Amino acid sequence: MTEAGGQRLEARFGILSCWRDGARRVTGAPSIVFGVWALSLLLALPLGVVLRGLIRDSLGSSLAADAAAEGVNYDWWNEFLQATGGIGTTFVPSIIGFAAPLRNLSDVMDNVPLAATLTSVVVAWLVVWALIAGGVFDRYARARTTHTPAFFAACGVFFFRFLRLGAIAAFAYWLLFRFVHGWLFVSVYPRWTRDLPVERDAFFIRLGLYLVFAALLALVNIVIDYAKVRAVVEDRRSMIGAIAAGARFVARHPRAAVGLYVLNTLVFVAVLVAYRLAAPGAEWRGPGMWVAFAIAQAYIVARVWAKLVFAASQIALFQSRLAHAGYAALPEQRALEPPIVEALGPAPAPPPRV
Amino acid sequence: MIERLLVSGGVILAVAAPVAQEAAPGALSPRNASYTIAARLDPARRTIDGTERIAWRNITASATGELQFHLYWNAWRDTRSSWMRERLLAGGRDLADRPPQDRASMDISSIAVNGTTLPFTYIAPGDGNTDDRTVIRVALPAAVPPGGAADIRVTWRAHVPRTYARTGAIADYFFLAQWFPKLGVLQDTGWNCHQFHAATEFFSDFGTYDVSLTVPDGWIVGATGREQSRKANGDGTATHRYRQDDVHDFAWTTSPDYVEFRQTFRHATLPAVEMRLLLQPEHKGQEQRHFDATIAALRYYGEWYGAYPYGHVTVIDPAWQSGAGGMEYPTLFTAGSRWMAPRGVASPEGVTVHEAGHQFWYGIVANNEFEHAWLDEGFNTFSTARAIEQAFTPNYLAERYFGGFVPWVFRDIAISRATDGNRLGGYRSAARMDAQITPTFRYWPPTAGAITYNKTATWLHTLERLLGWDTLQTIMTTYFQRWAFRHPTPEDFFAVANEVSGRDLTWFFDEAVRGSHVFDYGIQLLRSEHDRERDRHDTVVAVRRYGEAIFPVDVLVTFEDGSTARERWDGRDRWTMYRYTRAAKAKQAVVDPDRVLLLDLNYTNNSRTLVPRAGEASRKWMLTWVAWAQDLLMTYGFFV
Ligand SMILES: [Zn+2]
Repeated sequence: MTEAGGQRLEARFGILSCWRDGARRVTGAPSIVFGVWALSLLLALPLGVVLRGLIRDSLGSSLAADAAAEGVNYDWWNEFLQATGGIGTTFVPSIIGFAAPLRNLSDVMDNVPLAATLTSVVVAWLVVWALIAGGVFDRYARARTTHTPAFFAACGVFFFRFLRLGAIAAFAYWLLFRFVHGWLFVSVYPRWTRDLPVERDAFFIRLGLYLVFAALLALVNIVIDYAKVRAVVEDRRSMIGAIAAGARFVARHPRAAVGLYVLNTLVFVAVLVAYRLAAPGAEWRGPGMWVAFAIAQAYIVARVWAKLVFAASQIALFQSRLAHAGYAALPEQRALEPPIVEALGPAPAPPPRV
Repeated sequence: MIERLLVSGGVILAVAAPVAQEAAPGALSPRNASYTIAARLDPARRTIDGTERIAWRNITASATGELQFHLYWNAWRDTRSSWMRERLLAGGRDLADRPPQDRASMDISSIAVNGTTLPFTYIAPGDGNTDDRTVIRVALPAAVPPGGAADIRVTWRAHVPRTYARTGAIADYFFLAQWFPKLGVLQDTGWNCHQFHAATEFFSDFGTYDVSLTVPDGWIVGATGREQSRKANGDGTATHRYRQDDVHDFAWTTSPDYVEFRQTFRHATLPAVEMRLLLQPEHKGQEQRHFDATIAALRYYGEWYGAYPYGHVTVIDPAWQSGAGGMEYPTLFTAGSRWMAPRGVASPEGVTVHEAGHQFWYGIVANNEFEHAWLDEGFNTFSTARAIEQAFTPNYLAERYFGGFVPWVFRDIAISRATDGNRLGGYRSAARMDAQITPTFRYWPPTAGAITYNKTATWLHTLERLLGWDTLQTIMTTYFQRWAFRHPTPEDFFAVANEVSGRDLTWFFDEAVRGSHVFDYGIQLLRSEHDRERDRHDTVVAVRRYGEAIFPVDVLVTFEDGSTARERWDGRDRWTMYRYTRAAKAKQAVVDPDRVLLLDLNYTNNSRTLVPRAGEASRKWMLTWVAWAQDLLMTYGFFV
């Protein structure tokens, strides 16, 4: 075995063990998974309730409700869609079962604008993420139980940093969607396919452009990911410095960083495939609707878990290369202790930076 | 040089060809406008050089001192044509903003009638648009009397566009329709030769077409009629000669890429039909789907209306992005498929049945599509939905994602013939936009399609439910057989409908066709209260006519003990009320319980129940939506 081969092997095993480490960290803190899931539910629910009102008003005391309750009443649905506005316009067949993730992914890849009525919810979701991400990363970086006050203290410490980081990331993504996506799909794709009489060829061209664009998104994403990791693990205040440090880390450990990214992406795909097999259709009725809802929620929980493992495994990778497992520069915030404890002396100094 | 030689070759051939002076014995149609054409396609320049000889007979009761011709392709010459103006009204500048080489033109170099070369002028009989060059008039030195004939020779050059209105080219794929100077139709009232309008199709007389097409050697040709001969010219081109009797148009296609398949349609009572399919290579494996759909049309239309008489049909699977998909021509039609075409979704079947069905409504019964396109498009939409239901049920909804390439089939949503097949949804939003009887070319362009296709199909389906299929089928058969190879008008259909049904349906045609009123009946009130003194339940049902249009409807009240009360309401007043005193409490009330009136724009308000399940239904769909919204949040979560 050549030296390079050996390194590759080591990197691969390193990736797997980092991923396992990350998964352990996430599974060891189930409250975070369920907390994030609950946040998604809480944010989606109010608009869901509004929609429910629209649907109920449209069905009124009509018998059309029977068919709508027992399956899909497509005739009524069409009537509803032609009469509704606002959030009602998002109530389309694509919300059913596996079509939902398919359509959402498709809309992002095709840069389909978000329905205006959903923008506030999505923005709220992104801000909430910025708010909790500090606590989540801190918890995973320590790889041990931190108490609630410590969790929220970390959230507080990193909220504004992550907002700043988020603003920089948002700008980068905006550039990608505004200019690169436009260039690829509004300029290059039509030009390359303008005189193409074969759909299959056009599809593969588009697929290629999706891969190019996804790679660019992933590039920004991976740098921002490690910027967050470094910000938390090393208690960085400058987010530009964190991005530079994140990029440096990726550049110095490309095989491990990219390999882990790909592995996590595959895990996400596996979650999608599982949902493809289990996704409930519209045939669930009566109490069964709750079973269907539970299946869909299990999928959301799995997505949350996969997303968190993404972060936790990146933290584990970073720590395995530049720090050590469970190390975080920021002293763990504890609950206010009684004065007598304070009187016993200061907390021990944190270990020196490496 | 080669080009000029070939064109003159075409002239010789045209002169040598026999000219039909009178309808031949055994002819199905009057054959009063017969074309002998020689044309040469230059794929590199995208030009067609053609000569044609038209043997025309005046089959009207009046003499004419002029001839009128369509030059359809000039509609796509510039943005000032009536077609382009109307198209812009309907939205989208994409077709108008094309570079010159992607546009079309049709330039006549000479017209000679009975050996005399004559001048011609552009006219605009529809809208007076002097920039429109789609119709010309040729003044004759001597009038053609009733029964008289004219021998017309035309030489022209046309530029093939990137596809407009199903006609044009992309890469090596050519689909060529409305591609030759074509006579208008002389009627007793004069020439019927409308400009090319955006919302209309075509109208012409029946004849024999004998057409020689010169294309690059090795290219596959599909055309109206049967191939008579094929000869290599030794200069890299080959000439294919096609001929067909009793048709009113001729279209053709050529491409080096087609894969050819053949099958024969056989039926116990209908004549056999040779089916030729020219398939795109990327759709190999889908050939049986095309054949099955063509068979469904030949079978059901044949059984319902009358036999397909030509003995052969050519099915064209157009190239992707050619824009040529889904169009009918005599003995030939374009269907169209997708590379990923999931089973259980009637695509390509839907479009194939529809275009094959046009062989009957359009091809054989040849109404004036400029003025009453609904007579074929609407009848055919209705028939398509009926045939699809017979042959391809279940037929599920599908959506496409990722640039429109990746299909997803909704196994929960089966397309129903009644509303989705006949397309009530599309009609609903266009319902008040035009009276159907308005000449089609004067429809408001953005909603013309919904009135032409959807509304007609929906009212025919309503008529089916009102009269019963047996009666409607007899109406359609009678109309088909009486008007085959002729040019019927709406009044001709109405007369057949009244005659065959034995009922005066004028009121219905007044509402559905001559007017633009909308139908909407509903249950406004359902109350059922217990009368303690008598230990009975007093039930009140109020039925309301929300729309302007009137239709007799049934009202069905169901009681908790399973008993029912069925009322017949003439539907004239704005509302009516029914009262019942019964032992049982009412459960539900429905107006038009059998959904006879498919034109009813709001079916949800047609029923009321005292124990509504709207709460359950809305909860279920809220939960479905919430899970989707959470997935959306997770998807956006990628960015944080
Ligand atoms: Zn049609």
